[in-house]
Amino acid sequence: MRSQVIRFGVQTTADTQVIDITERVREMVRESGAQNGQALVMTLHTTTAITVNEGLPDLEDDIVEMLQELAPAERNYRHARFLHSDGQMAVNAPSHLRGALLGFQCLFPIADGELVMGGRQTIYFVELDGPLYREAIVQVMAA
Amino acid sequence: MIDFHTHPVQVADLFDDDPTLTRAVQEVFGLWMSPQPLRTYELHIEEAGADKAVAVPLDCTTAHGMTVVSNEQIARLMELTDKAIGFASVDPRDPEAPQKLQHAVAEYGLKGLKLDPALQQFDVADADTAFPVYQAAQELGIPLLIDCGLSWAPKGRAALARPLALEPAIHAFPELQIVISHFAWPWVDEAVALAVKHRNVHLETSILYSGTPPESLKHTLDRVGLDLLDRSLHAQVVFGSDYPRVDPKRVADGVRRLGLRPALERKVFNDNAARLLRLEVAVA
Repeated sequence: MRSQVIRFGVQTTADTQVIDITERVREMVRESGAQNGQALVMTLHTTTAITVNEGLPDLEDDIVEMLQELAPAERNYRHARFLHSDGQMAVNAPSHLRGALLGFQCLFPIADGELVMGGRQTIYFVELDGPLYREAIVQVMAA
Repeated sequence: MIDFHTHPVQVADLFDDDPTLTRAVQEVFGLWMSPQPLRTYELHIEEAGADKAVAVPLDCTTAHGMTVVSNEQIARLMELTDKAIGFASVDPRDPEAPQKLQHAVAEYGLKGLKLDPALQQFDVADADTAFPVYQAAQELGIPLLIDCGLSWAPKGRAALARPLALEPAIHAFPELQIVISHFAWPWVDEAVALAVKHRNVHLETSILYSGTPPESLKHTLDRVGLDLLDRSLHAQVVFGSDYPRVDPKRVADGVRRLGLRPALERKVFNDNAARLLRLEVAVA
């Protein structure tokens, strides 16, 4: 089994964004040359997420609304203080919790050089505390 | 809308030509976050709902042997983005500080002066060192943004940043427009007392100590009294975030949640800063 880790960047432009990265991931898998194996897509941040859903704008809005209801902006969070290791106010507990709800990675099979995906499946990079320049990886594992 | 207080200490474009800046940002300013593209700085301003932001350097040459972003880097930032309104910083313990301030304003078009007594470690009431700098700023007609209260910088000494210590300077330079950052928390009463009495003293909203910005702003300003802001300080409060200590969007949200009268909120977010900066046309 060989492993390639491909890093890629996403410049997000708002506090919360649901960004379709399906084609970027497909292209990275093709360029890797892998024929059969698996592709792990993972964000490198704890206030972003990777999720898979049907690529429809109304569902994207529903996902955001669900996250905002489950981890509301106003609550007596403990993570609302100065974080000495960063030198910043750590006041983004809702962003962390929303990330935890969605998860940070997804895994797809690779067959004959292509990602194996359901026809309605879309891979999303989800910004939960933007705008920021973010990084994610695709790890291609193949024989 | 104008954010009156941002430190462009995460703008990657400024680090490219200055290998010492990382050390200054970490060891002196006390920020350990990775640089971001210039575009992120612009987007932070936009996400808060602002059009422009005051971008400040800090000359800590005597205290720490380095600058946390230089005047020249601020000038470069202004070339790279029209979002930034650049301020200058000089080291009051440098005998040539007044001349350096005049040069920064004339050569680079910088629009104000930033001082941080806790971090630059100077006495704000010292007639021999600080006063010539105030004199130069007054003659140049530029506002002074001065950090008061708690300093999050590891080497900052808050005892040098008590607002009442500014009173001799306020008396000596009545035309100098002074903006006290952070409402000088925890010495909010001292700062408010100065502003209530002196119309050239202004207060900036980045009140950062614990909790979220909406919580810390409400807790602090409820105690001051929103009616006092409306009646006596409506022309003397400006929105500032102290980015990147906290994101501008969160401080802006905190101000919006205070429930200020619309006319007062507009002054805080825009009009008071525009007047201090002598902008010909106030931005929306």
